[in-house]
This record gives sequence, structure tokens and C-alpha cells, in this order.
Amino acid sequence: MSDRTDTLDVPVAAPSPKPRRDLGWWIRLALWLALFVVLLALPLYLEAQWLKAGQYMMVGAVGAMGLTLLTGQAGQLSLAHAFFLLAGATSYTVLSGPTGDPELVGFGLDPLLALVGAVAVTAVLGLAFAPVAARLRGIYLGVASLALVFLGLYLGQSAESLTGGTSTGRPPASFELFGFPFSNEGELEILGVPIRETERVWYLFLALVVVAFLLARGAVGGRIGRAWRAVRDNESAAAAMGISVPGVKAGVFAVSSAYAGLAGVMTVLWFDILKPDESEFGTYGINVSIAYLAMIIIGGLGSVSGALVGAVLVNGLPQVLALYSTDLGWFTGTGENAFTPILISSFVYGAAIVLVVLFEPGGLAAIGRRIAGLTRRGKDPT
Amino acid sequence: MSGAELAVENVTLRFGGLRALDAVSFAVHPGSLHALIGPNGAGKSSCFNVISGLYRAGEGRVRFGEHDITGIRPNRLAKRGIGRAFQNAALSPQSTVLDNVMLGRYSLTRGGFLECGLQLPWVRKQERRHTERAAEICEFLGLGAALHTPAGALPYGAVKRVDIARALAVEPALLLLDEPAAGMNAAETAELADTIREIREELDISILLVEHDMGLVMGIADRVTVLDFGRVIADGPPAEVQSDPEVVRAYLGTDSSDGTEAG
Repeated sequence: MSDRTDTLDVPVAAPSPKPRRDLGWWIRLALWLALFVVLLALPLYLEAQWLKAGQYMMVGAVGAMGLTLLTGQAGQLSLAHAFFLLAGATSYTVLSGPTGDPELVGFGLDPLLALVGAVAVTAVLGLAFAPVAARLRGIYLGVASLALVFLGLYLGQSAESLTGGTSTGRPPASFELFGFPFSNEGELEILGVPIRETERVWYLFLALVVVAFLLARGAVGGRIGRAWRAVRDNESAAAAMGISVPGVKAGVFAVSSAYAGLAGVMTVLWFDILKPDESEFGTYGINVSIAYLAMIIIGGLGSVSGALVGAVLVNGLPQVLALYSTDLGWFTGTGENAFTPILISSFVYGAAIVLVVLFEPGGLAAIGRRIAGLTRRGKDPT
Repeated sequence: MSGAELAVENVTLRFGGLRALDAVSFAVHPGSLHALIGPNGAGKSSCFNVISGLYRAGEGRVRFGEHDITGIRPNRLAKRGIGRAFQNAALSPQSTVLDNVMLGRYSLTRGGFLECGLQLPWVRKQERRHTERAAEICEFLGLGAALHTPAGALPYGAVKRVDIARALAVEPALLLLDEPAAGMNAAETAELADTIREIREELDISILLVEHDMGLVMGIADRVTVLDFGRVIADGPPAEVQSDPEVVRAYLGTDSSDGTEAG
């Protein structure tokens, strides 16, 4: 033990406060840019149904990033993510909904304003949960937060003037950015490919994912991210360094809910209808909360890019399977015992969680770091 | 930097019928290394917790400079210029050494989720400035080569130094060290003594050292306060305290293995 201490004492020329921009850093940057370019180009090549599947992965990506900040970075287990999704979806639909409808509440706001408003409303709802979050931790917090999903289920069904009710639901206003419609209206072509609703929404979602990703990465690397990790790892040490532990917990709940709220807005734009669930399993049910947990566990708790990959797997698999099934003639059975794409992908990501927990608790992010470590010349710790 | 005196005045702390602290008074003079020692259960940790705001004293006051810090909320200490290191180090094991030490800059910096997330120019500048300072502090404590190593991968002695570096990153006028030698072997303790001596010589801050290990304390402290059963039984320079018959009785009479035990 003491000789290891000695090696650390050896002064090294000019310790760099920032990790040097070595080969690995440039490779990573190049890979991110390449991925971004590919994502920009995809709508020119892919059919609408594949773009739809990709959009659903992006919905998951935004939600999963929010949850990994809360659960991975700040150590607050939450099963309420589906509730905040519903809150965001409802807020957007209500805020942008037409005014003057006798049965449905609507504020007729500009869709961009409604999107920002929906994110703000869910952030406030997350903040409202803070007193509970400050008093509970671990699995107890998880169970308490689960109650919100049931609250959402009840409210979604009973507040029909907001949600439209379970039978008919309620269509959201299609998104518009300074008068540019994200629908089939108007003519737009790139390289001879008509850019219609699906392509437009793809670019909208891509932009939202990029913004959400950059914000999350910046926060994780900065002062607030350090505060989150300190609260996760040792509350008294966090307090001794000047952090208000309840304040930071409340803040990260608000941030995570805002992400979920945005994912909710994207969900409702993706389905093109706001339809509250009839049971606790559905678009905003327990299964969704658990799917989001699965994403961040598979991706690696606390890793923002891991959350992206987790979302691609968990949200993408059922979509892709469903698309292939029509080609291959799988999953033709119907009824309760049929092998649906959703069922199969549940098995797959269930198995993925078991594998991650058994063999690589750091998730895909840890595997990625190890691969990245190979490109770096090592004075890394063993 | 120095100038503020920590004064513990007549502090009494009761747990039910037990008097954990009984009218304890002592003062840490600016720029001095003050040790608070005593056998197991003497009330050292209780006293430490009263100073750092974890326990509220039943009677008496704790003063730091002109501020009354009795029952201060623990997260206000850093702002008042008090840095604290922990007995169990309490680091984030997956985070790098630099990241852990940067946590100490929390109350000296600003910016929430949006500011950090947007990487505003002033945030980046602030981050760069404070990172440089944190790296400097790490360098000072011999951690320069380990800046980007996860804290969990370091040997125990280095982990302790990271904890002290984090407390120093607060830019404290007073450094509180809670049993830093706990669980260390003789070589590590000697190394720690050097580190503490260096901090005191180079940084001109006051240090309050709560410690079990007599050897460590007697070698480096300017002044020693000895607690036994919640009362101050001696207060003075180490040489004087060491030969005090009551101190010898407290130490040898209750726990003879004290201070020679290697963790």
C-alpha cells in the first residue's frame, strides 16, 4: 500500500487542470459529429415508418436523460417519470388547445409557447414533490413517487375537460415554429425529397434532443453536477461544502420533471393524440416508468450518453420488431398469449438489465469508457 | 486570512440524563494548530458536532470571529470560512480527485442548472479559474499526479489528503479535522502529520484537530485541550498537558492501548 502512495507523490511536470485534448477526445468529437450528420441525413433516405420509430427513440432519449440526472447523478430513485410525461403532454395540449370549446379547456397559445409552458408546468410539479423527496430516500422514495403514477391515472380519467377522457382523447395542436408548420402543409424539398410532417417532426425532435443533451452534459460537468453527486454520495459532506441538500434535491427533481415534461410533449406530438390510460399499463403507466429506469440502468446510471443508447434500445426495439414483423410475417398471433413485439422486447430489455447488473453494473457507459480508455495512453488507474 | 478566533464558551450538551459536554470552554487562536483530544467517549466528537452545527448545544455559545455560530446550519459553515474534513473521508468514489476537490469551491461559485447547462461565458471562465486553484491545492497536498484519477482508486492515505484538499478548497480561515489518523498505520500517520504541519506553515490558517492518536497530536499541536467525561481536564501547550497527572490518569486509567494502536 505504501509504495502505491509513493508513486502518487512523484511530482509530474505541469499537471493539467483539464484533461488534455488527446486523441481519444478528438475521436469522440468526430464520432458525435458523424452521428449528428447521419441523423440529419436519415430523413432523405428512410421511409416514414422508420422515421416514426426513430422519433419514438428520441422521445425516450429526452425522458431518459432527465431520469439519469435525477436517479443516476443525484441518487434519487423515481418511479414517477410517467406521471410527469402525462403532465407535460396534457399541459401542451391544454395550453395550445383552441379556446371557446364548451367541453375542453384550451388557452390557444402559440405551440412554441405551449411547449415551453408545458416544460415549466412539469418543472413546477416536480418542485411540488420536493418536500416528499427531501424526507425519503432510496426505495421508499421510489414507492412514494410511484403513487404519482396512480394519481395521474385517476386525474387523466376524471379531468376530461383537460385530457379529453379515455374514450376519445384529445388531439394536440400540431407544432409550429414562427409560422412554419410541422405538418403536411406547404411545399418543401431537400435534394428532391419532399419534407413532409414526418420529416419535419424528425428534425424538431432531433433539435430538442440535441438541446436537452447539451444542457445535461454541461450541467453534469459543472458546479450543479458536482452538487448532485455530492448529495448522492454523502449528504453531510455535501452540506459541509455549502450545499443546501434539500434545495439541491428539489432542484434536480424539477430539472428531471422538466425533461419528462418535454418527453411528454413529444409523446403527444408523436401519437398525434392525447389519450389518458384506461389502466395502470399504457402510454403513461407504470410500465413506462419502469421502461425509463431500464433505459438508464442499461445505459449506465448517471451517464447522459448512456441514457441515449438505453432509450434507443428500450424504445426502439418494439418499434423495429413491429416493422420487421410485417416483412417477415412474425407475430401474426393475436389475443392475450400472442408474442407481440412489445412482449418480446420486454423480455429482451429485462434480460439486458439482468446482464448489466450481473456483469457490468456501470452499464453500457462503463463499457464505452473502457473502449475509450484503449485509445488513451494509460496512466489511468488500474 | 487568519484573524478570526474560534471560541467555545461554556457549552453543555445533554443526551437525556447524560451530560456529553459539561461547560466546555476553549479557544482556537488565529493561526494556531489546536488539538482536542481525549479517551474514547470523552465528548470529542460531540464537541466537534456542536461546532459544525450537527448538534445544538443546550447551553453556551460557539463564536467564530464576531459571528455567533451556535447551532449554525452545517451548509453555512463554508460561507463563514470554516472548512471541514471527515473521519471517513466521505468522497465521491467514482468522481475524479479534481472533481471532488472542486466541490469545495461550491460556495465560492455560482450558477444553477441552466447557467451550467448553457455553458455561459462567465460560467466557463469561473470554472477555469477555480479549476486552476483546485489543481494548485491538489498539487500542494501531493495529489498533482492523481488529478484525473477516480478518488475510489486511491490508497487510503491519498484519499485522506483529497478530503483535506476539498476542505482547503473552501479557502477556510479555520480547518476542522475530525480524527484524520483514524484507521491509519504508523507510516501513514507520520505522513499525515507532515501534511498538517505543512498546511499550517504555508497557509496561515487555524486548525482544530480532533484526534485520538496522542503521538500525532503531541508532535504538531501548539495547544491541546483534553476532554474526559465531557469536561475539560487540561488545556495548554503539549509538553505541559502531557505531564499533567489528570491527563495521564484519564488515558492510562481508562484505555491503556490508546494512541499506540495502529489501525
